[in-house]
Amino acid sequence: MTSALRTQGLAQQVARQRWRILRRLRPSRLVLNGIIGLIALFWMLPTISLAIISFRPAGLFNISGWWTVLTAPTQLTLKNYQDLLFSTPHSVIPTGFAAGSILDSLVTTAAITIPATVLVTAISSLAAYSLVFGRWRGRTVVFLGIVALLVVPLQVAIIPVAQLYASFKSLTGITVFGTLPGVVIFHVAFGLPFGIFLMRNFYTGIPKDLLEAGRIDGAGEWTLFRRVVIPLGLPAAASLAIFQFIWVWNDLLVGLVFLGGNAHHTLTLFLYGQTRTLAADYWVISAGAMISVIVPLAIFFAFQRYFVRGVLAGAVK
Amino acid sequence: MVKTKGASRLPRPDASEPAEAVRLPGGRWHRHLGSLAFIAPGAIWLLAIVGYPLLETIRDSFYNSDSTRFVGVANFKTIFSTADILVTFRNNVIWVIVFPFFVTFLGLVFAVLTERIRWATAFKAIIFMPIAFSATTSGLVWNSIMNIDPHVGMVNATLETVSDWFSPPGLYPVNTSAGQTVAALAATGLRSGPGGTLESTATVAAGQTAKLGLVGISPTALQMIGAAQAVVAPPAPGRVSGLVWRDFSPSHPTDRGTVFSDEDGVAGLSVTLLGGDGSSAGSTVTDSHGDFTFTGVGSGTYRIQLDSSNFSSGFTGIYWLSGTQSLTPTSGLSQTAQALFSIPLVDLSMIIAYLWIWAGFAMVIIGAGLASLNREVLEAARIDGATEWQTFRRVTMPMLAPVLVVVLVTMIINVLKVFDIIVNMAPSTSQANTLAVAMYDYGFASSPSNNGLASAIALILFVLVMPVIYINLKRIR
Amino acid sequence: MARVALEDLTKRYAGGNLAVDKLNLDVADGEFVCLVGPSGCGKTTALRMIAGLEDITSGWVRIGDKVVNLLPPRDRDIALVFQSYALYPHMSVFDNMGFGLQLRKTPKAQIDKAVRNAARILDLEAFLDRKPGQLSGGQRQRVALGRAIVREPAAFLMDEPLSNLDAKLRVQTRAEIARLHQRLEATMIYVTHDQVEAMTMADRIAVINDGVLQQVGTPKELYEQPRNHFVAGFIGSPSMNFVDLAVQLGNTSRLAGDGVEVRLDDTQAALLRDRGLETVTVGFRPEHLEIGKPEGPGLRVSASIDVVEFLGNDELIHAVSGGRDLVAVVEAGGSLQVGDSIFLSASPRHVYLFEPDHGLSLASR
Repeated sequence: MTSALRTQGLAQQVARQRWRILRRLRPSRLVLNGIIGLIALFWMLPTISLAIISFRPAGLFNISGWWTVLTAPTQLTLKNYQDLLFSTPHSVIPTGFAAGSILDSLVTTAAITIPATVLVTAISSLAAYSLVFGRWRGRTVVFLGIVALLVVPLQVAIIPVAQLYASFKSLTGITVFGTLPGVVIFHVAFGLPFGIFLMRNFYTGIPKDLLEAGRIDGAGEWTLFRRVVIPLGLPAAASLAIFQFIWVWNDLLVGLVFLGGNAHHTLTLFLYGQTRTLAADYWVISAGAMISVIVPLAIFFAFQRYFVRGVLAGAVK
Repeated sequence: MVKTKGASRLPRPDASEPAEAVRLPGGRWHRHLGSLAFIAPGAIWLLAIVGYPLLETIRDSFYNSDSTRFVGVANFKTIFSTADILVTFRNNVIWVIVFPFFVTFLGLVFAVLTERIRWATAFKAIIFMPIAFSATTSGLVWNSIMNIDPHVGMVNATLETVSDWFSPPGLYPVNTSAGQTVAALAATGLRSGPGGTLESTATVAAGQTAKLGLVGISPTALQMIGAAQAVVAPPAPGRVSGLVWRDFSPSHPTDRGTVFSDEDGVAGLSVTLLGGDGSSAGSTVTDSHGDFTFTGVGSGTYRIQLDSSNFSSGFTGIYWLSGTQSLTPTSGLSQTAQALFSIPLVDLSMIIAYLWIWAGFAMVIIGAGLASLNREVLEAARIDGATEWQTFRRVTMPMLAPVLVVVLVTMIINVLKVFDIIVNMAPSTSQANTLAVAMYDYGFASSPSNNGLASAIALILFVLVMPVIYINLKRIR
Repeated sequence: MARVALEDLTKRYAGGNLAVDKLNLDVADGEFVCLVGPSGCGKTTALRMIAGLEDITSGWVRIGDKVVNLLPPRDRDIALVFQSYALYPHMSVFDNMGFGLQLRKTPKAQIDKAVRNAARILDLEAFLDRKPGQLSGGQRQRVALGRAIVREPAAFLMDEPLSNLDAKLRVQTRAEIARLHQRLEATMIYVTHDQVEAMTMADRIAVINDGVLQQVGTPKELYEQPRNHFVAGFIGSPSMNFVDLAVQLGNTSRLAGDGVEVRLDDTQAALLRDRGLETVTVGFRPEHLEIGKPEGPGLRVSASIDVVEFLGNDELIHAVSGGRDLVAVVEAGGSLQVGDSIFLSASPRHVYLFEPDHGLSLASR
């Protein structure tokens, strides 16, 4: 009887202690989650504002803030997108796939980004293979050279490369400046140092034994690269490709310089141009900006893990 | 290749050995050639588009605008004596000093915070997401967020709400910061009074009426307030009455002083009766027809005052993207010194926008650094009696220092080259320009372009990142 | 299947470090030879030179009747089992084993047959679709073996293939490899630092130290007639005991030191007389020591017991004699106690004599 009582008393004591701990934890935990929630909300506001502005009537932009949508959701309309994508009486710029339209810019951006990404990934993988598994002398020196190029600002190259393109034209008659290949060539060059660096760091983690086993199995360098190293290096290649893709997609300066005079624009050039027209139409800008972020955002969310890995490989190592 | 000689120097094992055995294909130099070929595309590409142009830029920076004549250090002299370019230096200095520090701090705070919540993955994605946007897009978004008009810009709208709480605007606000004046509203029987008021030009006495006409009153505002057609109030003994109306008739656009039927009264206006000594003898508010009446008025003459609160503009917005408003006092300085030592508001605004973009990057890297710390060391600190803060301060931070340095350095390089956000967020001022913008302007946007000057600026950018190249090389070795 | 011959095989690294010094070894067709030696002795380098993974500084490697010095690995018709197994992590077990044949453009059906055959031999049939990451250490090891078998190479090279297995599995796999050798009748060159592995599996053993070949012979030869101090100490477990003793030639020639005495038989005395040595290194194996103090020629030691390790059938005795640590293996069941004084003895044929300066066995002249 007494022991039963004592047990009961102990149980109560434990319950009381637990309650005390909980009470001490709960509010602070709640406050913490509240603060972090506010930060998250604050961080989303710009994106939300862009989205809402793009769905509000153009005329309301200067009259009331986007947040009035919260009390008047009927404001929302698809009109901006219609005017931007299809020819309507309100369209102020080319529509459809005409040069200078948003969809044409989307295609142009993809036509630059995809080759630039594929080339950087492929060439970096090849170079990294050579640096890690090759046996030629001077590999370390070459690698250090590439590390040195990692942070070189692209400003140091734009004028000479523009001149290079010009002299290439006078030599061969082939126009490079102002064309998509001209932009791609430049993007690839400035994507390579990081690409080679990232791939090399990953490849050094592949056991040399595997390559030797392959050599004994009868594989030549190309087979080793294709059948052993590429499959194993896939995660790094994915990181690099996604990083490079987002980087090129979002570039403004290279397109600004090397696409100069071309009727086709990249998305960033499209937006940049809009801010510089006399009547900067924010409805065009906001709807255009929304269209421009769809692709990188989708890639970002689909492959966030790889993207983060690319970021880490570039920064921490 | 030299190495193959070693092979041919080998002693022949015996005479019966077939001679071709020593010269079989697939020898080591062959193998090396194979893998050497793999680096060729990358190497050629880099040499042609990065290596050679770098040398060319160095050369060009000592040549004239079309790279035809050697000019020595003239371009650099120009750079350091041209006010516009010096301003870009100032901006780069501001960016480099302010931004990396804050972004690292934010990243650290976020990284630490996310370790304590269950929805860390979602939070990280939210903070990290802006990096998927182009800086162009982000610049445009923040351009609208920082818009001066509280009806458009979120920041100013928030400030307006706060400000209105303390000093609400009048019904008929006059935006003095935009150059409007209260005096300009006076049309009939009114003159400018003290402290942003209007008062009647004529004096009135009991039993009289006053007709006070205003212009520049927005019909929309009147409509919203519920104003009705202006009616002249009849005089009555012992009373001072009157009308305040919108003295603009669409049917008689040039006629002032006559009350037409298509003119509305200015409703809801605070009116004060001023005695001869200027003291208040009573106050009232106009009705929907614009009429007001003061009863029980004694003898003597009075003036009628339209209070300043009617015209108070309230909060009209901060010009966040201003290149001339400085955060530092600049009075008493020479013009050059003002340009060099002011911190324009636009820089701060753009840095805030840039923080929004890059805080996620810092958070992810620092978060990875935190995750890779040896948990046992942190636990040991706990056991040793350190509080959470002490553990963080004395153990976590020192162990994390290398990662923080990496973030700092990466961000310094990043902002040295900052371009997209500047040209998109603050296209209306040149006061926000950075070296990268100046380089683009001189090299491509101006006509004729100045290759020498642009190259010299590019070279300066390159020299500025050279310490980082050195650090990187040392770290890799 | 083929003969593998090394002639004056030498490897000098760029830094001047001599890893393998004029190695001569002839491995007959179908023979199982172990290269054994302490780590860093050059045995793996030698193997890699045979495989073609390491450039040859000088000397010759022949496989079959071809000099293969300049041939890339793929043209040497050899298979190598790596210490780390080096399985391709992204390929299934089947593809891992069939990769070599695939690269040689062998018809699919033939690859399939070869791989399944190897899988049957190695009991891997159930795992063919798995990736290496899903296998246990022992299974991975067998896949590595299978990859070699499938190729039907002229020679199998194995680089410490058992060192990543636990003790029990190692014994099992050792037997498996030995069986495999009998079954395939293949030439095998097997590198290990574990002399037990070498002793149990090899037809012949090549002992290497500091890049220099010390002795080649059957396990029995190495055990019974070590050519020098190093081989004597390396082969056999526990290691041979060594003591330096002063030579006293006379009517009854003997070697004497503190607590240790060897009474020489006539041949030994004659050998020593020939050499005119003043001191000599005497070696004797722990398992050849007996407790007791017999008369006549042979070795006798007076020692006190330091540690007794019970091994089941035997006891390992660590004893101290004249400041020297000696080890003896004796039948268990005695009542030996720590601190006891004992006499140990060995017959003359179990006493090895080595020159004290360069360690050559006197018996080997």
